[in-house]
Amino acid sequence: MSEGEMAIIKPEMMKSYIWLETADGSIQQVEQEVAMFCPMICQEVIQKGVGSSKNYAISLPQRVNPAMLSLIFDYCRFHQVPGRSNKERKVYDEKFIRMDTKRLCELTSAADSLQLKPLVDLTSRALARIIEGKTPEEIREIFHLPDDLTEEEKLEPLKNTMDDPRIRLLNRLYAKKRKELKEREKLKSVEVEEHVDERSVDDLLSFINGRDPKVVKTSKSKKKNKKRKEQKNGSSNGTCEALEKDLHNLDSKSQSAEIVDNTASCLGDVSNLPSMEDDIFTPKTEFEDGYIDDEIDPALKELLDREVEDFARRLNSSWVLSIGQERQPVNFSINGNGTSRRLTGPAAGHK
Amino acid sequence: MGESPDFISDLPQSIIENILTRLSIRDAIRTSVLSSKWRYKWSTLTDLVFDEKCVSPSNDRCVVETNLVRFITGVLLLHQGPIHKFQLSTSFKQCRPDIDQWLLFLSRNGIKELVLKLGEGEFRVPACLFNCLKLTCLELCHCEFDPPQYFKGFSYLKSLNLHQILVAPEVIESLISGCPLLEFLSLSYFDSLVLSISAPNLMYLYLDGEFKDIFLENTPKLVAISVSMYMHEDVTDFEQSSDYNLVKFLGGVPLLEKLVGYIYFTKYLSIGDDPGRLPLTYIHLKTIELYQVCFEDADEVLVLLRLVTHSPNLKELKVSASPVQPFPLEEEGFDLFERDYFDYKLPSLESVKITDASGIRYELEFIRFLLGTSPVLETVTVSSSLSDKDAKMDMVIELLRYPRVSPRAQLLFLQD
Repeated sequence: MSEGEMAIIKPEMMKSYIWLETADGSIQQVEQEVAMFCPMICQEVIQKGVGSSKNYAISLPQRVNPAMLSLIFDYCRFHQVPGRSNKERKVYDEKFIRMDTKRLCELTSAADSLQLKPLVDLTSRALARIIEGKTPEEIREIFHLPDDLTEEEKLEPLKNTMDDPRIRLLNRLYAKKRKELKEREKLKSVEVEEHVDERSVDDLLSFINGRDPKVVKTSKSKKKNKKRKEQKNGSSNGTCEALEKDLHNLDSKSQSAEIVDNTASCLGDVSNLPSMEDDIFTPKTEFEDGYIDDEIDPALKELLDREVEDFARRLNSSWVLSIGQERQPVNFSINGNGTSRRLTGPAAGHK
Repeated sequence: MGESPDFISDLPQSIIENILTRLSIRDAIRTSVLSSKWRYKWSTLTDLVFDEKCVSPSNDRCVVETNLVRFITGVLLLHQGPIHKFQLSTSFKQCRPDIDQWLLFLSRNGIKELVLKLGEGEFRVPACLFNCLKLTCLELCHCEFDPPQYFKGFSYLKSLNLHQILVAPEVIESLISGCPLLEFLSLSYFDSLVLSISAPNLMYLYLDGEFKDIFLENTPKLVAISVSMYMHEDVTDFEQSSDYNLVKFLGGVPLLEKLVGYIYFTKYLSIGDDPGRLPLTYIHLKTIELYQVCFEDADEVLVLLRLVTHSPNLKELKVSASPVQPFPLEEEGFDLFERDYFDYKLPSLESVKITDASGIRYELEFIRFLLGTSPVLETVTVSSSLSDKDAKMDMVIELLRYPRVSPRAQLLFLQD
């Protein structure tokens, strides 16, 4: 404001000024070379010819309030001076971003709306540094994020971007099943010898997918390794094995059903789903570092996956189909490994 | 705590992505458990950078590897929209079949920048790589490839970096000429013996390997060249050429700003019949670094002299001497420095660094030449490979004797 008054007192000043109006209606003027540092303002001046007088002030985007604007012009004023060394600029920038996170966010937003890329990068980097390496709880506290995800949701796969009611239904079932299983878990203890041989399915898949035989071979040898690993693991974890056998039966049943159908897309539907959920689940498990692991036995989760998968098949949902098409054929053969991989991963994570 | 509103979640997605891009992929994806608004914010990130630190550490390498594979597959599945950059650095071998699949996935998602830094053992790059026609940057380490017949080149590729790649030289040559926009080329551990490079937009060239001959056929825009040249067993092959290699190699790079050579590079340049003067003046050349120059070989010293005297804007010169042979060559009566060299001026030279000097005649003469012809010289740093204190002292005394045309020139003799 005071700057504006000053300019009225000395209208004959040699320096040219740009008039700007913020969303709250206040008008101010700024040295041209400083204001023109913001591409958005520069465009307005050049393309629309506005900003040269108070009546034709450039109206700034809503995200820029007067406080942020003056901060931004401080930044521009420093950087528009030529001949400063990189070190000087760095030191200034470091000092400049020392502010609370709320203001930092506001500033980022304001700079973004003025298309001032270097400042957006600077503040984004500062925000990233704040987030880096912190736990979700810490981040929520710093940014006042609502903790509006239930524990179930945090465990759930992150897949339902599109708000499909069928998927929500699926998730609800998934959550319910998981609870049930958690209770059943205590009663269960069975011992069965495990034996997995999915080679025929694998061969079929590679036939359907028309894969280069060389690659199929490598994926097979890989599978052998996996199997060996699994057997080692198995002896230490009877429950898992038992469940796994059940699952395997389930698995082969569903697979034989598919073979009858004998269309690649159908195979895609069903066999993709569990591996996908698994993949979604795994990273999160690792993120939470044990805190989820303790809650749900991977084998139980596996069983859940199967049930959900059955449900999904019944739905014959177009959503699953579309994902199946996105994926590459070779993934199917990986899915053949799915069972073992799922077990080795989280189980070993406990060690 | 409750009174303050959430002020970050509603920032525009472009800003959120800007922030997330600066986090490790692990931290970025972790944001999905923050709140409902953050659930999928990461999923449109266009740059995905993976390494072994993405997953929880474990003593069992197999576990880490399995988790890494699952992590990457999971991320790719959950990802939405185009993926511009994919980088994977891992020494794991088991995941290689998975890489095939990831590459196929990426080739369908508009990948622009692909970096595969794999460990020992060649990974055969699947053919789908050659369908990634939007690639602007490709970096492969420990790979092997053979483009399919139909492949005509990456028409947008600007940067190609191949490290320990198993591939035929013809393949590389046609790959390079199939990338008309190529600006950066780096080939290391590349033993091709003879290589011709035709790349009209190339600005930066890094070569490292066994070469017998290098032809810069069409590289008029080169700004920086760095060559580490290892010689093939039969040096005689090296000598057959009758054209002056210095002219042949550097004859077509008028915009050169920086020249760096290691091992036998200077030797290579020195081969052939010296035409006297160079046909070209390197008015942009500011930095010359030549390492392992043999000062017992008058031809190599001549290369040095030719280069510095044809680069009027040269500011910085770094030279290291190769160890002196136990039985020094007979220094002939032929004297480089009594010719017209002192008529030259090196008008811009400011900084000189000579390392591993052993005090032999041409070394000292060369330093004397620099001191006597560079009016704006500021520092000449010399370090010696001599272990004998007296010999070192003799060298220092000799150096101090030389007249300096620059009043500000400092001579620094480094003691190790």
